Amino acid sequence: MAWKGMWQLKKLVVSYCDWGGSSRGIRAFIESNLPAFKDSNPQLEVLTELSRGQHPCLKAFYKNKNERVVCVKNLASEDVLLHATRLRNALGRKVKKLPTRHVTKHPSVQGLAGVAAS
Amino acid sequence: MAQRRWLQTVTRHALPLLSSKPTTSLKPLPHLPASISLKSILSPKPLQQFLYTDPTLFHARSFSSSSRDDSENEEDDSEEGGEEEEEDYDSDSNEAEVDDVTVSGMKREYSAEEKEAEAAAIGYKVTGPLLPSDRVLKHREPVFAVVQVGSHQFKVSNGDCIYVERLKFCEVNDKLMLNKVLMLGTSTQTIIGRPILPDAAVHAVVEEHALDAKVIIFKKKRRKNYRRTKGHRQELTRLRIADIQGIEKPQPKVDPKQKMAAVKQQEKVSVAA
Repeated sequence: MAWKGMWQLKKLVVSYCDWGGSSRGIRAFIESNLPAFKDSNPQLEVLTELSRGQHPCLKAFYKNKNERVVCVKNLASEDVLLHATRLRNALGRKVKKLPTRHVTKHPSVQGLAGVAAS
Repeated sequence: MAQRRWLQTVTRHALPLLSSKPTTSLKPLPHLPASISLKSILSPKPLQQFLYTDPTLFHARSFSSSSRDDSENEEDDSEEGGEEEEEDYDSDSNEAEVDDVTVSGMKREYSAEEKEAEAAAIGYKVTGPLLPSDRVLKHREPVFAVVQVGSHQFKVSNGDCIYVERLKFCEVNDKLMLNKVLMLGTSTQTIIGRPILPDAAVHAVVEEHALDAKVIIFKKKRRKNYRRTKGHRQELTRLRIADIQGIEKPQPKVDPKQKMAAVKQQEKVSVAA
């Protein structure tokens, strides 16, 4: 999530329910892991949102105006932390099948094969 | 009769040759040292070690289009051999430990040295976090390198971005040094490693740990009412190449605009004259 050293995730919203059983893990996450996560990512705006009667989810807002929502119902607090870290580590681009694993703007230094140097 | 006579002459000429003179092909090769006899080659010593430790067999570690000192390369040889052996031992011990851990079923904890050793086996080394003051990303230079990360090889120049299999023990915004460089080149010069160039390094920055697009694994057997669908998302790491070291970089060319301006000025001067 860091493009030229700039973190691309701007805002992370932790949405949970204070009563439901599927939010048990995320409640533990908010109590135990979230303060440390906030401290280690000062560039990040972390909000908690109470939505009763709903399954919990993590909403990520990126610099390129992309938005990603991950459902974390019935997950343990460590798994929620893993998902939060993944969201932080991403660039926020659309997930597509990669045509190539090597992206370059200048494909050739010594000239293309079969093309005689002029 | 004629044939028999011919045979006799041939044998008469050939016999003394075979008996008295040892033929040149049977002589020990001149460049081999005397210590290497046939026995030492046939002995159960591991072949790799033998090859690496004897500097006379491999004269240079790299082919280059420009001339370099042979003596320097030989030194590299001996050092390289030592390192490789150490790495081998390390990997062996690591494997043993991995087995132990899987037996116990615990999640494995790595010490700093183990992390470094595993990273070296993959072909990278973490050199520290990227600070805001660091300006690692420069303008494009006409240099390329072929670098190996894990089991993939990439031809990179600076400013490129590559997706490698997820690298353990490195965080986003870390600076890495990729040290398995197989080849370096500019527009005029090429250096080829045998197989790697020990002095060269490619510097990179970790940009992203992400999941690849989902791949659907669908298994089906005909007429057996058997279908299984499974999804998989591979973990990838995106690296940005910052710098390539180990080769002389050509001077940056003059901008075409400036060139044009210079040409125009010259033209003006000629017209005025």
